Amino acid sequence: MSNPAASIKEQNKSAASSLLRRNVRKFMNNKLALLGLVVVVAITIACIVGFIAGVDFNTPVLPDMKKPPSSVHLFGTDTIGRDLFARVLVGGCYSILIGVFCAVMSSVIGAALGAIAGYFGGKTDTILIRISEVFQAFPQLVLVMMLVAIVNKRGLGNLLFIFVFTGWMTTFRMVRNEFMSIKGETYVKVCEAFGMSKNNIMFKQILPNVMSPIIVSTTTNVAFFILQEASLSFIGLGVADTTPTWGNILNAAKSVSVVTNQWWIWLFPGLAITLFVLAINFLGDGLRDVLDAKQQ
Amino acid sequence: MKKLLALVLATTLTAASLAGCGGGASNDAPAAATEASGGGTAAAAPAAADGSLQLAVTTGDGSTSDDRIPTPWYNRILATNLMFRGLFLADSTLTEVEPDLAETYEVSDDGLVYTITLKDGLKWSDGEAITVDDVQWSIETALEAAQINSIYTAAFKAIDSIATDGNTITLTLAEPYAAMLDVLAQFAILPKHSLENADPLKLESDPFWTAPVTSGMYALDELNVGNYFTLKVNENYEGQAPKIEKVTCYFVSDYVTAAQAGNTDYVYGNAADLVEALQGMDNFSAHEVDVLFYKYFIFNMKGIDGNENPAMQNVEVRKAIIEAIDRATLATLYPTANVLNSGVPNSDEAYNGFEYTFDAEKAKADIAASGYDMSRTLKICYYNNDQTSIDLINTVVYYLQQIGLTVEATLSNDGTTDLFTTRDYDIGFKGKSSFSIDEWYTEYMSTDGLFANIFGGDTSFDALVADLSKAVDKEDRNAVLTELQALEQEKVYKVPVFTVGTYVFTSNRVNIPEGVEFCNPLYMCDLDFENWELAQ
Amino acid sequence: MLKFIIKKLLMMIPMLLLISFIVYFGLQMTGIDPINFMVSPEMLSANKENVEALRESLGLNDPLIIQYFRWLGNCLRGDLGYSFDGSSIASIIKVRLPYTFELAGYSLVLSAIIGIGIGIISAVRQNGVIDYVGRVLAVLGQAVPQFLVGIILIQIFSIKLGWFPSANRVSPDATNAFVDAFVHLFLPVLTLTIGMVAVLMRYARNTMLDVLNSDYIKTARSKGIPEWKVYLKHGFRNAMKPVLVILVFRIPMLVGGSVVIESVFSYPGIGLTMTNAIVSGDYPIVLVTTLIIAAAMLICSFMVDVFNALLDPRVRLGE
Repeated sequence: MSNPAASIKEQNKSAASSLLRRNVRKFMNNKLALLGLVVVVAITIACIVGFIAGVDFNTPVLPDMKKPPSSVHLFGTDTIGRDLFARVLVGGCYSILIGVFCAVMSSVIGAALGAIAGYFGGKTDTILIRISEVFQAFPQLVLVMMLVAIVNKRGLGNLLFIFVFTGWMTTFRMVRNEFMSIKGETYVKVCEAFGMSKNNIMFKQILPNVMSPIIVSTTTNVAFFILQEASLSFIGLGVADTTPTWGNILNAAKSVSVVTNQWWIWLFPGLAITLFVLAINFLGDGLRDVLDAKQQ
Repeated sequence: MKKLLALVLATTLTAASLAGCGGGASNDAPAAATEASGGGTAAAAPAAADGSLQLAVTTGDGSTSDDRIPTPWYNRILATNLMFRGLFLADSTLTEVEPDLAETYEVSDDGLVYTITLKDGLKWSDGEAITVDDVQWSIETALEAAQINSIYTAAFKAIDSIATDGNTITLTLAEPYAAMLDVLAQFAILPKHSLENADPLKLESDPFWTAPVTSGMYALDELNVGNYFTLKVNENYEGQAPKIEKVTCYFVSDYVTAAQAGNTDYVYGNAADLVEALQGMDNFSAHEVDVLFYKYFIFNMKGIDGNENPAMQNVEVRKAIIEAIDRATLATLYPTANVLNSGVPNSDEAYNGFEYTFDAEKAKADIAASGYDMSRTLKICYYNNDQTSIDLINTVVYYLQQIGLTVEATLSNDGTTDLFTTRDYDIGFKGKSSFSIDEWYTEYMSTDGLFANIFGGDTSFDALVADLSKAVDKEDRNAVLTELQALEQEKVYKVPVFTVGTYVFTSNRVNIPEGVEFCNPLYMCDLDFENWELAQ
Repeated sequence: MLKFIIKKLLMMIPMLLLISFIVYFGLQMTGIDPINFMVSPEMLSANKENVEALRESLGLNDPLIIQYFRWLGNCLRGDLGYSFDGSSIASIIKVRLPYTFELAGYSLVLSAIIGIGIGIISAVRQNGVIDYVGRVLAVLGQAVPQFLVGIILIQIFSIKLGWFPSANRVSPDATNAFVDAFVHLFLPVLTLTIGMVAVLMRYARNTMLDVLNSDYIKTARSKGIPEWKVYLKHGFRNAMKPVLVILVFRIPMLVGGSVVIESVFSYPGIGLTMTNAIVSGDYPIVLVTTLIIAAAMLICSFMVDVFNALLDPRVRLGE
């Protein structure tokens, strides 16, 4: 009796692996997406390596301030003579951390709430929808300000919290809608008839079917949060200046004399953000093409 | 339902065609601008290039708002100097005064009685007479006003009684106040008949400031909230009418952008990036101004309620912290900055020669010897949000980290409240555009409204500071200053970093008469403005 | 349908109340004392009784919940109160809100024209030059931080070329209000548009492609209707419905973007007012501007709902 069962499992496995192989092939054929992946990985690795190697991003050498790029300082130095290359590397670590952490966490929360709302429907759904609308209507800036004022600190933790707290709604809506349409399908009814627990049905049976759009939206959200961090830094509500992030480094562009006279101070962090965001968007598009069931 | 959709589509299309028309108009705008600029400089003025002097008022720092004229009782900026006058007018040193609204004045030999007679027939811009009542009301109200520069309150507190008779006002002081005339030269007299019903606590936000009645060369022409205000010549001004007939003052968030885009003909400042940017523009000329703009650290010692900050009580800790900071190197962040070691500049003859030296190794040893808890986080609080200040603080943080301290710097949105009311910090970084050296020392007074909150109302400076404000003669004054320096260097409550040079920049659109010297741009002095001309 | 709309509109009331409640109490929790803004610390220590009297007269000693309802009651009666520095908030809003509407409205229209235009051309001439270049530029515009785009545009167009002013919305001696509006709006609108075009373009391109590949277009073609007519009459009309929805969905993004852009361009709209109020801690203004932005967002999502319901009658509440 055990043999046929095992073979079915095997079959499923091989079917899955062939699907995976096909997807990988499809992805490899999408040049732009591949390029995106390479750039994202390259920047991330460079930043992490720089961080672990302990590049000196923090020592001000005032006599060396505002030096243009040279062999000593690849990207030049900033307004107090810190090495910009090191700062962009370390800043990248923080910015990517912010992007990835917030995108993943907000997707997790959005997916969980979306699953609950979509699966249970009715009152639960209505209440969750209302809550998401309230959050959506709430200007993020005001929340950041209130939190900064309450804890009296412009910390990294604050920002992570706010971004996750205010960023889960798009995933939530998407997952909820998918659940709404899937829960009527036969296999869900079968699972219910078998008396499976609701948790099991929601998260083990239905959720894997909506993983693709979640992965895609998580990817593009990384880019969104990185840009968002830069904007907040610009208004002066980002992470404290002692923590380098791409946004904080780019803040030098506030000073008009820097913009006109020291192009390297804003161009390199600006390029880093743009390149990374661009690559992430290409990657997200590629993943969408590969994973979108409707196109297969 | 379809109709609704159609309606929306139609609206979108209409709006789209409107934008399309806008596209057509674009051809005219640049052409007009090129014609108007004519000067050949790259930075053309797109607007208001006709006979109007352009000024800019920044709103980005939260201290001024863009829906009214800023009060002249706080800072005296050029735009309000053109509208409001005092009894006297100072020269560029701010210490020599000429009568302005006053006709004549007399100071008794003991320095206690000031008898001032106003000119005859003075009129406000609305035609009402400017009288001694206005002067009396202004001085009395200044003592109750909430937003006012402390030089006025410090001086007017010394006034015991005010008497008026006809066109003459007599101020009787309880004790001599050497700088009284200088302060009166800065103090703008405001119209009693428009403001007497206003709440002194909210005087600066009275509707008066959207349509002020003025005493100066100019009166308000138009205020466009959020955008600009314009000034026209005040017909009731008794002196020589200014040659420039119109002044436009824009509300902007950044002076440098405004200057580069041709939106202002007059800019001042001391931040490195501003000075650097404007020095790089060949259509602006720089005037370096000798001012006492202190940048300094303050230690949060003890509240007036007796609430102590235990970590900073040991004077050795405070000294070690200062030893760790290389102030001479920090000075290179500014275009011109002179390191100083007390309220008295090193170049002043009263300077006592003491120096806070930078020695990181010694600082390390000293902080260890002082018994300071190295595991606690040292908190720095600062409020200037320009790039140079941020850079400076980041460097200070680095220096302190080098002697093994854990440091956290917070940029405060409301400096005064955070430094003197909330008080959640160890070291504060502050700037002060000082009227005179005296102002630096009055901050030590146990009665100082602000600093009493962090120096715990320590009375040890009081007698000396009182002597200083009374000292009329140079020698007495220097003697008192020497004693004060010794005392402040022993107490280490506040440590000056440097004074920074301030610059005034004027564009080549304006011709400034020979011999004009600019003073501290936050105060008022005689700029011979009536003879300023716009270049053709 | 009418019932659906009314129900949706009514739902907005409790949500706005909830938001106002959260912001009101959140701001109170920040522990910032309005008295500190009205009275200098010198006065605070020198004149304790006066300050206490002021506090009492402002009702600051009452329990929070009473203060909240008093504020709410005043708001409903049209009295939005006063900022800490004494200006009437209603008058601030009256001046600033139209400015922001202008900015957001023109950006929406411009980005719709450009985005949908390029999107359709891309779809019709798939893999052509316009398709390729347009897509790359649009994606690039989305990847550069918006404030940096603004700063660069100011550098080029108002400083180097001197074509447009770098700040404000109105200049003092404008002879033609229309030209004046145009020159002041051009750069900020362009900045916002650059950030928005990518999404609209991609969406328009995809829906147009779907429509062009659909059976009825093929039928239309087979009937011998001219090609341009096929695109315009059948393709465009059908593709526009979902694009319109996505357009409305972008409005909140515009509002968020304009907060930053208004401070780059010193544009005196509601966003700049809010940023300045946040930076200086002027909470009465923060409260009201937050509610206005929240209301704008809610109205947008209401419009999305209505559009969805119009386009697809199966859509249930909340979809």
